[in-house]
Amino acid sequence: MNANARHSQAMHFTARAADKVRNPVLQQALQKAKPLFSGKRAKAMAALPDDGLEFEALREACAGIRDRALNDLDVWLEIFEENARARGAEVLWARDGGEICDLVIDVARRHGVKKVTKSKSMLSEEAHLNDALAAAGIEPVETDLGEYIIQLAGEAPSHIIAPAVHKTLQEVEALFAEKHGRPQAARTSADIPALAKEARGVLRQHFLSADMGISGANFLIAETGTATLVTNEGNGRMVTTLPRVHVVITGIEKVVPTLQDFATLMRLLPRSATGQTISNYVSLLTGTRADDESEGPTKTVFILVDNGRADVVGSHYQDILRCIRCGACMNHCPVYFSLGGHAYGWVYPGPMGSVLTPLYTGIENALDLPHASTGCRQCSSVCPVRIPLPELMHGLRQEQQRRGLRPWGERFGLRAWAWIAGRPTLYRALTRIAARYLNWLADGEGRIRLFGFAPGWTTARDLPVAGGGKTFFEQYAASKRD
Amino acid sequence: MSARDDILARVRAGVGKGDADARRAAALARLQAGQSGPQPTLTGDLVERFCAKAESLASTVARVDDYAAVPAHVAEWLSARQLPLQAVTALDVAGLDWAEAGLSCRSGVAVDADPVGISGCFCAIAETGTLMLLSGPATPASVSLLPETHIALVPAARVVASMEDAFALLKAERGALPRAVNFVSGPSRTGDIEQTIVLGAHGPCRVHLIVIGENS
Repeated sequence: MNANARHSQAMHFTARAADKVRNPVLQQALQKAKPLFSGKRAKAMAALPDDGLEFEALREACAGIRDRALNDLDVWLEIFEENARARGAEVLWARDGGEICDLVIDVARRHGVKKVTKSKSMLSEEAHLNDALAAAGIEPVETDLGEYIIQLAGEAPSHIIAPAVHKTLQEVEALFAEKHGRPQAARTSADIPALAKEARGVLRQHFLSADMGISGANFLIAETGTATLVTNEGNGRMVTTLPRVHVVITGIEKVVPTLQDFATLMRLLPRSATGQTISNYVSLLTGTRADDESEGPTKTVFILVDNGRADVVGSHYQDILRCIRCGACMNHCPVYFSLGGHAYGWVYPGPMGSVLTPLYTGIENALDLPHASTGCRQCSSVCPVRIPLPELMHGLRQEQQRRGLRPWGERFGLRAWAWIAGRPTLYRALTRIAARYLNWLADGEGRIRLFGFAPGWTTARDLPVAGGGKTFFEQYAASKRD
Repeated sequence: MSARDDILARVRAGVGKGDADARRAAALARLQAGQSGPQPTLTGDLVERFCAKAESLASTVARVDDYAAVPAHVAEWLSARQLPLQAVTALDVAGLDWAEAGLSCRSGVAVDADPVGISGCFCAIAETGTLMLLSGPATPASVSLLPETHIALVPAARVVASMEDAFALLKAERGALPRAVNFVSGPSRTGDIEQTIVLGAHGPCRVHLIVIGENS
């Protein structure tokens, strides 16, 4: 069994989704976030022409940069590795989550590490690293405010850039009161700065006392052997400046060739993610502390992770590896905003997750996700690296059919439809009957209020019936005669 | 087989092109060529643009004629906000006459108790209102990170248009990257509680930029 599948709940998507739809607190949090995410991005993109920039040209360039890296990924990884080592960093490789945990714990033990502060890393979620660290007697502290909140709650992130988007202010207040050992207070949105300050005070002490910092990397730059970090809170800078040891955990697909490539990608990453023209802190980290410096890590370790990625290179699904983790696809997804991120059952939610989870945990272990789509295509129209997400999901659905992974009724139905569609006379006769029948059900009103065969279609809305009982062919033939 | 060799072998099989030496030569040639993507066409004065952008990101900006005017301005700015007249300075700006303006300054690496950090910058970027800070013995990264207030000195002549121009300047003047390059654009912020923006997440709560000299 795929090692990632052990931790995945993606097979229970339908049941979890039904649960999430009925959760009023979650729905309140999601409805609040939705217009903010899409509105901020739209505003940022609309302002691009003021500087003579254009979204389509930029994303063409960004997709090109990512494709160039992926099309010679082995070469760029080797160049990155050489340059990182030349600057004194150690470069390690991990095939899967288990190997990530083993390597991190080994580095920690070699350097006598007791406490680790962490900047956001989705790879560490893939590896369940916090559990492994705690089991090894090393205290992991998440320092991104959202990650800190969900670590206190014992939950997983529900969004790749806003991990606690599913939590309301009242839930955060209750959590802080309990975990920080203080009485709970009545809070309004005016108190949000006070809660942020409370977390700042607690986490500052962790920053100052940690022996090791763990971060991800938004990109690796091959020409300089550099890890880049894009953050707003400053926690990424803290965990890479103050502790003695810095470990970067990142996927092998994150490499880009040059600093210029990085500058181009930075024109779209923050705009796509949060609608910012630039994030507050963009850090480029190369090597270790110099001899004459009195701060910065004396030991820097890169862990380059496969965990399913290598097998996607050169496959039908390679385009998904262009992903720069901005979150725009989920921020514009009606399915995501109906369910939140936890329903998806593994690390990555939304459209990119519906592609990545089957690829990284096994297609047979995430059967529902490629179907979690309304076909609206908003995800592909906002993607800054032009990933054809609907087509990739479609490809996964086809593969499910080919491998006989769909339910018997669905497979039979599709085969029956194909048989009929291949016989035009029969097809026209049957669609004529169906069109008349639907029109009769619609009772001349052009819509069906309750559809007996499949009542799910009409529980929340009417089913529209076009054509007044005539098939498309009949209407087309009639229009030709006129 | 080591994890490294296993992963690289599977990536190579996926890439499916063969002739790794020729591909490597092409990749290295690409690094030499230094191609860049679409860049902005900024209209108007770069320094004005930098100031306007920085203010839109919640920094405050002041203009002074020369370095000699900086300490008095800083003292006045801190006093007006009832902030302590006490700072840690990066070594490269420690030489100004801070004491004469009534400021008690120490230079070096910042500690948690430092209320104010004063730094210079390597250069500044007009496109996004961003400071480019390099780590080094004279320019510790902590000065712009730990204190609640960060004050940065920005020579007008060091304002460039874009991140690409900043990288070119770094290559020309320093050759290699230092341990840390930090692009800083305003006070630290978070939106993690109900998407409400709060300034002063983990880094400075306020950033004051002092632009020194005339427009370019």
